[in-house]
Amino acid sequence: MGVRPDNRLADAPMHPVACASCAGRVLVRKASWHQTSVQWTDEAQAACTSWSPGSAVLGFPPVCDRLRTSIADAVLDGTLPVVGDEQ
Amino acid sequence: MSDAQTGTTEVRHIKHEAVPTRFARGWHCIGLEKDFKDGKPHSIEAFGTKLVVWADSQGELKVLDGYCRHMGGDLSQGTVKGDEVACPFHDWRWGGDGRCKQIPYSRRVPLRARTRTWHAMTQDGMVFVWHDHEGNPPIAEQAIPAIEGGPSDPTWTDWAWAQTVVDTNCREIIDNVVDMAHFFYVHHAFPTYFKNTFEGHTATQLQKGVNRDDMRPAEVAIGAPKRLGNTSVATYHGPSFMIDDLIYHYEHGDTRTVLINCHYPIDENSFVLMYGISMQRPEVEDDDPAAAEALAAKMVATVRLGFEQDVEIWRNKTRIDNPLLCEEDGPVYQVRRWYEQFYVDVADVRAEMTDRFEFELDTAKPIEAWQREVDENVARRAAEAAEAAALQPQDA
Ligand code: FES
Ligand SMILES: [Fe+2]
Repeated sequence: MGVRPDNRLADAPMHPVACASCAGRVLVRKASWHQTSVQWTDEAQAACTSWSPGSAVLGFPPVCDRLRTSIADAVLDGTLPVVGDEQ
Repeated sequence: MSDAQTGTTEVRHIKHEAVPTRFARGWHCIGLEKDFKDGKPHSIEAFGTKLVVWADSQGELKVLDGYCRHMGGDLSQGTVKGDEVACPFHDWRWGGDGRCKQIPYSRRVPLRARTRTWHAMTQDGMVFVWHDHEGNPPIAEQAIPAIEGGPSDPTWTDWAWAQTVVDTNCREIIDNVVDMAHFFYVHHAFPTYFKNTFEGHTATQLQKGVNRDDMRPAEVAIGAPKRLGNTSVATYHGPSFMIDDLIYHYEHGDTRTVLINCHYPIDENSFVLMYGISMQRPEVEDDDPAAAEALAAKMVATVRLGFEQDVEIWRNKTRIDNPLLCEEDGPVYQVRRWYEQFYVDVADVRAEMTDRFEFELDTAKPIEAWQREVDENVARRAAEAAEAAALQPQDA
């Protein structure tokens, strides 16, 4: 089988973002202000102290809020580009 | 280089390799327990072959290869005799352990009179069969979790269940879990929040949506109640079994339901799609005790409409290994990378197939708010820099 590469990553790859509250480093890509992709590694998952699995019954998403904040900060700092925001 | 940069003369070609000849490793639901417990052998065409399923005298479900190792008779056309299934051709008796227990017209059973057994289990009223192309026993981590609520709970309705055969490779239905845009165009729903999380053997889709008011004639036609929107957390546990905790928001209030969306491959070009709904009974039960069941049945009819919309697309589309995605599309390549883990040998499962991947679309914060914050940050930083510059001479 083998899965081909995502055509969208050719022009705008994922960027490393470090979590401000743990030693984790992930790859992040924002396709727009509203969209965020996060690629974790084993190491990042092991380092993360705040992962919440969410709740299916209550409709809460699984998320690490601290990493989410770190990603938002990276956007606001201008260190993480937003793909759809090219002027 | 993007197509725009290479000019418009170059045509993009659809690529696809042959469909895999293997079937996914994992538990596959084959239907409702009660349908197999009628004292008869049942025929299931799955994984490129035929299985026979029956209940022994203790009511325990057994699954064997469907074809008798004597002269190829179809065991599923036979009868259950005691604990065994008896072949319709020459009455050889096969036990759930795969051994031939008796040949009524012969004093001895030949050596190696043993057929293939399939691991089976029942849970929450459903029957599951384990498939693994390497022939290994079930993997503990891939166990199907028990359902929270559902028919095992007396305050919920029994499964309203339906099934249909779809003539395409089952990868199409897996793509569905990430295909945000199709919810709007095919299912007329409008996600305000969407998140996929892939991790290990699970793939989750969380969706909060409002319904498109312009597109409800089909639901109106079957008399389904007016739905305002829904919150849905749907997780594939392994390659084929999805539990969807689904809260419907109606004009009259919220209703908690569990939707099962599962399938098993018949062969590489067709699969059986099954879905069922169980619903929490309303606190104040109607005068009619069957009202909740009737509502659940209507909901299944609504789900059927949804799947029929998908099936109609699948029936006519082509397989495509190189979808050309835009920034508004979901993580199609990434879910396929996750799905691939079930097709390779266990030894060949790579970290990228199982490492956590998140894809989130959150429209809660308006773009203007984002931009305002960035502008404020830029202004603040400029002010800080100016302040620092002003302080510098005194420091020196
Ligand atoms: S083929 Fe089954 S008993 Fe002969
Ligand atoms: Fe769909």
